[in-house]
Amino acid sequence: MAITFTLNGKSQSVDVSPDMPLLWVLRDTLNMTGTKFGCGMALCGACTVHINGEATRSCITPISNVAGKKVTTIEGLSADGNHPVQKAWMEEDVPQCGYCQSGQIMSAAALLSKKPNPTDSDIDDAMSGNICRCGTYQRIRKAIHRAASMAGKAHSAA
Amino acid sequence: MQRREFLKSGAATGLCLLASETGVLTWFEAQQSAGFRANAYIQIGAANQIEFWLTRCEMGQGVRTLLPLLLAEELEVDPRTVHLHQPITSPEFKEIRLRTSGSSSSSETWEPLRRAAASAREMLIDAAAKQWGVERKTCKARDGAVLHIPTGRRLNYGSLTPSARVLPVPKEVALNSKDFRLLGGRHRRIDSLDFVTGRAEYGMDVRLPGMKYAVISKPPCFGATAKSWNADAVKELPGVADIVPVSSGYAAGIAVTADSAWSALRGRDSLQVSWEKGSGESFSSDEHYQKLRQATTTEGFLVRHDGPPAPEAHGLFEASYEWPYQVHAPLEPMNCTAYVKGGKCEIWAPTQAPEEAQQKAAKLLGIPPENVTVRVTLMGGGFGRRLFTDYVQEAVEIAKSVAYPVQLLWTREDDMRYGHFNPASFNRFVAKLGPDKRPVALLHRIATSDLSIYPPSSPPTAASYAEDWTPWGGYDNPYNFGELTVDYSPIASPVPTGPWRSVEYPGTVFGRECFIDELAHQAGVDPIALRMELLKPANIVALGDDLRLDRPRLLQLLEAAREISKWNEPLPAIAGRHTGRGFACNIYHGATHMAQIAQVSVDGGGDFRVDRIVCVLDVGQPLNLLGIEAQVESAVTWGLAAVLKGGVRFAKGQSLLSNFVDSAVLRIKDSTQVEVHVLPSTMPPSGLGEQPVPLVAPAVANAIFAATGKRVRRLPISAADLRAA
Repeated sequence: MAITFTLNGKSQSVDVSPDMPLLWVLRDTLNMTGTKFGCGMALCGACTVHINGEATRSCITPISNVAGKKVTTIEGLSADGNHPVQKAWMEEDVPQCGYCQSGQIMSAAALLSKKPNPTDSDIDDAMSGNICRCGTYQRIRKAIHRAASMAGKAHSAA
Repeated sequence: MQRREFLKSGAATGLCLLASETGVLTWFEAQQSAGFRANAYIQIGAANQIEFWLTRCEMGQGVRTLLPLLLAEELEVDPRTVHLHQPITSPEFKEIRLRTSGSSSSSETWEPLRRAAASAREMLIDAAAKQWGVERKTCKARDGAVLHIPTGRRLNYGSLTPSARVLPVPKEVALNSKDFRLLGGRHRRIDSLDFVTGRAEYGMDVRLPGMKYAVISKPPCFGATAKSWNADAVKELPGVADIVPVSSGYAAGIAVTADSAWSALRGRDSLQVSWEKGSGESFSSDEHYQKLRQATTTEGFLVRHDGPPAPEAHGLFEASYEWPYQVHAPLEPMNCTAYVKGGKCEIWAPTQAPEEAQQKAAKLLGIPPENVTVRVTLMGGGFGRRLFTDYVQEAVEIAKSVAYPVQLLWTREDDMRYGHFNPASFNRFVAKLGPDKRPVALLHRIATSDLSIYPPSSPPTAASYAEDWTPWGGYDNPYNFGELTVDYSPIASPVPTGPWRSVEYPGTVFGRECFIDELAHQAGVDPIALRMELLKPANIVALGDDLRLDRPRLLQLLEAAREISKWNEPLPAIAGRHTGRGFACNIYHGATHMAQIAQVSVDGGGDFRVDRIVCVLDVGQPLNLLGIEAQVESAVTWGLAAVLKGGVRFAKGQSLLSNFVDSAVLRIKDSTQVEVHVLPSTMPPSGLGEQPVPLVAPAVANAIFAATGKRVRRLPISAADLRAA
């Protein structure tokens, strides 16, 4: 039976087993490989997407839970890498191997949408579910602060 | 996605996964075009586009930025305009190393790559001078063009390609050695847009028409083999295609292929395999540690013995340090895509070892290596795990039995149990002390396991180990202890062992640098001051034909580290916590000189934090400061993960790790502030990706002693240990 949801602003229908996790629907059914597999148990955060604006681990989210909801993946976060978090990530030169960074960016973007000026402790709380084995944490922290100030400036200019 | 689209998106990340609808297309055929192919590395097109074949694999260390910088420096182009290609194993690169290991990507490409670029540049200058009929010394290369200095005339490289391609390749070219235009600066990653938009393609992102996914059910203990399994029942499950026995990796198993990774995983869940356990079932790491401990009480291979016989001792001081097994756990689990058809094989692999992948696949299939094409994808971390091609062989073995391209995936649990590990080691030190309590002799006994993935070709001897500088960190001990005896006992185990970021150094350097700290405390001397005493006479120590330990260079670094870290100034007090600093230093393979100063704070309950780690390094000529800082931050975090969360235990012949739930890795809340200080140098660049790792454990352990008076001699460090000590 087809399941319909909104994916990156467009209506999407998939005909898969209802217990298939969103991660594999994205990667194997829809060939959208920006969302990554790292652990399959919501322990590493590489598969993080937004569901109705909330950072969610897609590897343990059955597709049936997504019906009628709005899903945003790294591919849909911005038109061309111009979300403040993506820009800050490039300016702080965060990525190394880069594999975890889709998930890191999705978690950071969700954090900033709720807390536009997060403290270090807010960052620890929101980002400790995202593992980076290359150890880019120091730059991730700086980039989140930078994105916050970037978004703040854009807001005060508007 | 259709193959064409897949290829297109591959090209968008610069991966250049060239292939045709009909099968294997060699690199050479694909690259037939009107341009100036100066050498294996460089081609310049008529429209002035610079094509560059990157002869190392990207796993996060930044070669896709660093190598273009080396090229651009000599070719006089903008590195951000260079189009990157990942070479495939093909005759063009037969004489050029593609394997990416040993932190050698900058040190080993530094000369040949700049030479290749300079030679192309000289040919372009020749071509322009001929065309203008002017003396070549009145011309120079700049910004992708040749300039005639007296007249200001300019010809871009593209317009010179028809004439440059027929000119002789210069035999000698002069390389710039100072006043670099790019090198030594701060350059951001060239490819970060791909990473922040999810466009970067890793091994696991390869998509081919008709491709199926495979996972392997692996055994419950080392050496077990599958006796029977319910293939027919599993084949009935939705999406499942085939059941294939596999035996070419570390552990034999049964593969399930299916039309999605999810279906394959579900198929594996339903697979019932009856295993015949082997001798590996009895292995336990606790027993192994006992064996290692025991081995340091008897003589092993005497790999180094030098200095005058020690005078009569006024005292003995002894301590031992234990380094546990470690897991790599790169965030992208092992995977490989393979297609076997018509006596040929195509492989898409996140691998550090494309040549080995080609050789091993050819052997497995019984076909000539030139019939195997290995396309290296981006790697979601390497760290030495992807130097062995077990997972490539498994994918090829499955592909051999099926008619479609197959992508093998390992789960995280597979990764935590069935890879190769960094071997545990036990390091015992006995110092004879002189009347001033300074050491006059040192015995360093090391018991560990040889790396099982590189078995010796003939029975090893003390001389053969010394030839490999084994054990690293023991054999190349830079200090003058008077009489120095380094003794090595390899203890076999069924655990597959292989390179892990910094390979043999972590256990030996942990022990050595903690022991010196203990000696300094015994003698009532400052730990840096004692090291400086032990680096006298300040000469260059020659070991064998090819290893030089430059004590003056290390002494200079120690001076700098003492100043930079404000070692002699008290640390700011933190209410309710004891604070302390610890020091450690090392010369890595005679090349990279480094010191680390860790700063920790500990409360009464043993809760401790690593507040800061300062790293001072002499890595020769710095090439990209921003990249150097990234590598140090990364390697220090890697080392800290081992100190705080690492260690693998084995019981009943199996790793007890299952997934990230068992820690093993560091999260942002446990990470520390890393400060990097790069000393200026005009020496050739040396390696950096691994070098900071071994210093973290001793620097932190010594800092904990400074803060609490408690010695840490085994890892990981836990609050409970600090309370109990």
